[in-house]
Amino acid sequence: MFYHISLEHEILLHPKYFGPQLLETVKQKLYTDVEGTCTGKYGFVIAVTQIDNIGAGLIQHGQGFVMYPVKYKAVVFRPFKGEVLDGIVTQVNKVGMFAQIGPLKCFISHHSIPDYMEFCPNVNPPCYKSKQEDSVIQEEDVIRLKIVGTRVDASGIFAIGTLIGDYLGLVPQ
Amino acid sequence: MADKTIPIFVPSEKPVKLAKWKIKQGTVVTQGQVLFLYKDLAGDGEELKKFKSSHAGTVSSIKVKEGDVVEPSSAVADLEECRHPTVMMEMCAECGADLRSEETKKLDVAIVPMVHSVPELKVSEELAQKLGKEDAERLLKDRKLVLLVDLDQTLVHTTNDNIPPNLKGVLHFFLRGPGGPGRWCHTRLRPRTQEFLESAAKNYELHICTFGARQYAHAVAELLDPEKKYFSHRILSRDECFDPRTKAANLKALFPCGDNMVCIIDDREDVWRHAANLIHVRPYSFFQSTGDINAPPPIEEKPKLTIGKNGTQPQVQEMPTLDAEPDENLEKPANNFEKPTEGSNGKVIKEVMEEKPVDIKEGNEKIEEVELPPAEPVWTETSDGQIEVEDPDDYLIYLEDILKRIHKHFYDVYDKMGQKQIPDLKIVIPEVKSEVLTGTSLVFSGLVPTHQKLETSRAYLVARSLGAEVTQDFTDKTTHLVAVRAGTAKVNTSRRITEKKSSKLHVVTPDWLWSCAERWERVEEKLYTLQRGGQSSCRRPPAHCSSPPPPPAPVAALRRRTPSGRFMDTINPLLSFSSDDIADMDREVEDIFNESDESSTDDEKPSQDDVDDEENLKEDQLIRIDEESTQDRLQETQDSSNESENDEEQPRPRKRPRKSTPPSDEEPPDDDDSSWNLMGAALEREFLAQD
Repeated sequence: MFYHISLEHEILLHPKYFGPQLLETVKQKLYTDVEGTCTGKYGFVIAVTQIDNIGAGLIQHGQGFVMYPVKYKAVVFRPFKGEVLDGIVTQVNKVGMFAQIGPLKCFISHHSIPDYMEFCPNVNPPCYKSKQEDSVIQEEDVIRLKIVGTRVDASGIFAIGTLIGDYLGLVPQ
Repeated sequence: MADKTIPIFVPSEKPVKLAKWKIKQGTVVTQGQVLFLYKDLAGDGEELKKFKSSHAGTVSSIKVKEGDVVEPSSAVADLEECRHPTVMMEMCAECGADLRSEETKKLDVAIVPMVHSVPELKVSEELAQKLGKEDAERLLKDRKLVLLVDLDQTLVHTTNDNIPPNLKGVLHFFLRGPGGPGRWCHTRLRPRTQEFLESAAKNYELHICTFGARQYAHAVAELLDPEKKYFSHRILSRDECFDPRTKAANLKALFPCGDNMVCIIDDREDVWRHAANLIHVRPYSFFQSTGDINAPPPIEEKPKLTIGKNGTQPQVQEMPTLDAEPDENLEKPANNFEKPTEGSNGKVIKEVMEEKPVDIKEGNEKIEEVELPPAEPVWTETSDGQIEVEDPDDYLIYLEDILKRIHKHFYDVYDKMGQKQIPDLKIVIPEVKSEVLTGTSLVFSGLVPTHQKLETSRAYLVARSLGAEVTQDFTDKTTHLVAVRAGTAKVNTSRRITEKKSSKLHVVTPDWLWSCAERWERVEEKLYTLQRGGQSSCRRPPAHCSSPPPPPAPVAALRRRTPSGRFMDTINPLLSFSSDDIADMDREVEDIFNESDESSTDDEKPSQDDVDDEENLKEDQLIRIDEESTQDRLQETQDSSNESENDEEQPRPRKRPRKSTPPSDEEPPDDDDSSWNLMGAALEREFLAQD
């Protein structure tokens, strides 16, 4: 789910940036620092939409670096258990398939794929196919999945999904 | 593991009326999912309450109908707990349960990483068996086999050195290192690789099994197979290897139903623990200055070596060698060559420069090889400024043929067995190989050192694995005489026999045998006829002449060598020793060193290596490192104090120029000559530095 929320971040800046472009540099540094990162609480920071306030810079003792507390608003993406999302299939194998939902990686186990879909390893690329061959899921396809679990760790979030449920599965292009 | 069924009870002291089921029998439920709605009869009786599942699992049976009144003591349904057969990053991929936080730790259930490139994804033994069986059935149906393909020096040769940018047929790619600046890789595909892959893919399901990093493996796979039609996602790299030194450990996980249908091509036998289903290919070398940039650390080979191809000179490995460090060995070739320069000896530095022509000479110059062994690429410049490389390597043609024969033989046997059993490639492959020289009977001349038994010599093992008979002396059946030089007694005898008998007795050089072993076919003898007065330099088999794992050196000999002579020590002396004992031993070893260097280490080694126990191995290695360093120190002191002794120490002068590739990668592991030579060089340098 996407949220637009207020966040805070502290920018540490080298003294060499002290000059007329100082605040511009602070903004740039904020973008590079936070966009694309991931925290367990708020999920992925997709984009900074506005910078509300750049506080008074505080020069650090003994090193001359300055620290600015910055308040900003950003769009974040936080996946939840039970949420239904669209993703792109990245890898298909006998154990299941992997999908990418924006920055979020997701695995769908073989057992969470409807029974009528079967794994076909012989075609290139490998795919899951229904018996009537009317529904084929292979790499690069868009699927609708439901998240059944998330693993949050320091480097990011990983999700487990399922295709069993109403309206889940291949999204016709 | 037994199924765990949990009955579900009503969450109330009083009877309740079950209003509506939200699930059906057989539904997979997650923790916290609403199972049914109920009314509390004791209260106002109108408010619908939700009942949520306390566990994830499958509802195996529903015992109460909608509208029934349920007593608190009776179960409304049975829930079969999820057994977490598939686990991704410690999270069950079926029910989404977090296995890290779950009170009952069940991480041991799913342990088999079945997907090559995703080690985090694990499945249970049971599921792995099922998937493996499905795979095997599919392969049999398609009449295919599995082929594990090594990359470095088998299909490609890659270097990180600077090379001329206009080399034809060399592909360049950049790998960004984790945290580091990254590096350029220059890869040359072995001639005919595309044809080989295409032909092999018809009969085999191809997997990549390499010691390169994941990024590298995928980059090279992209070069080899841009459409992903051969390898798909079946790429196993160092990142996924269980053990940094052997690839064999992963086999069980990838093929849970056994490796009956697995064939392997690799330029190194040791990483597969000399498996019988391995085809040992001739290493492909294109960039002379580089060996295998992704070679596994060499530590473990030492025990293997000293078990001895033939047990002749096990002490060689005891001496300090110039082997590269066993850590990240991307810069290994460079290390190997930089070391000699430290000796501040002008001659050695010059040699280094000659050996790395590519590195030193700039850009578009025509590159001349210093010394060109046959079957090495020839570099010439064409008119359009491109450097054309004539690469005579044609090994893949033979390999393709070998693979076809193995495939045919396998399915012949399979059909004969009535399609009930699956033949084992570990038996089929040696069978195919042994057909090569069936019906021939060889006699060796000058090939096996006199002090060595015929049966333990490498040539004998190679010939036997090809199906030839080998006899000590001429018999009626003898068809070939393999002689190193003309003029030996046996060569003369053979001439007499040929005159007497009408049947032809071939007199060939050992190259004939090595070629047969390389191509798995009976090579035309006329190409390898022994010239009168000629001498062949090839007593030692080339690296790729695959042979069955050499038999361990006779135990009796080992026993005599152990200092105490006790049987215990021949197994592993370290098993029963305390740390004090080991310290004592260290002291003892040093004492012995002071008396005589070589014999003492000789005593220690073979007994330790007999045991293939991982734990003990570590101890072994520790001690060995210790020994080596002591030896280093000792040698230094000896060098300075006693020059004459140093002369004795020096094994023998270097007979041939060092090859341009580092010995640890390129040379056969049992090629003790080269390590002798390196050692000799090292000693020589130290000796000269003293002056």
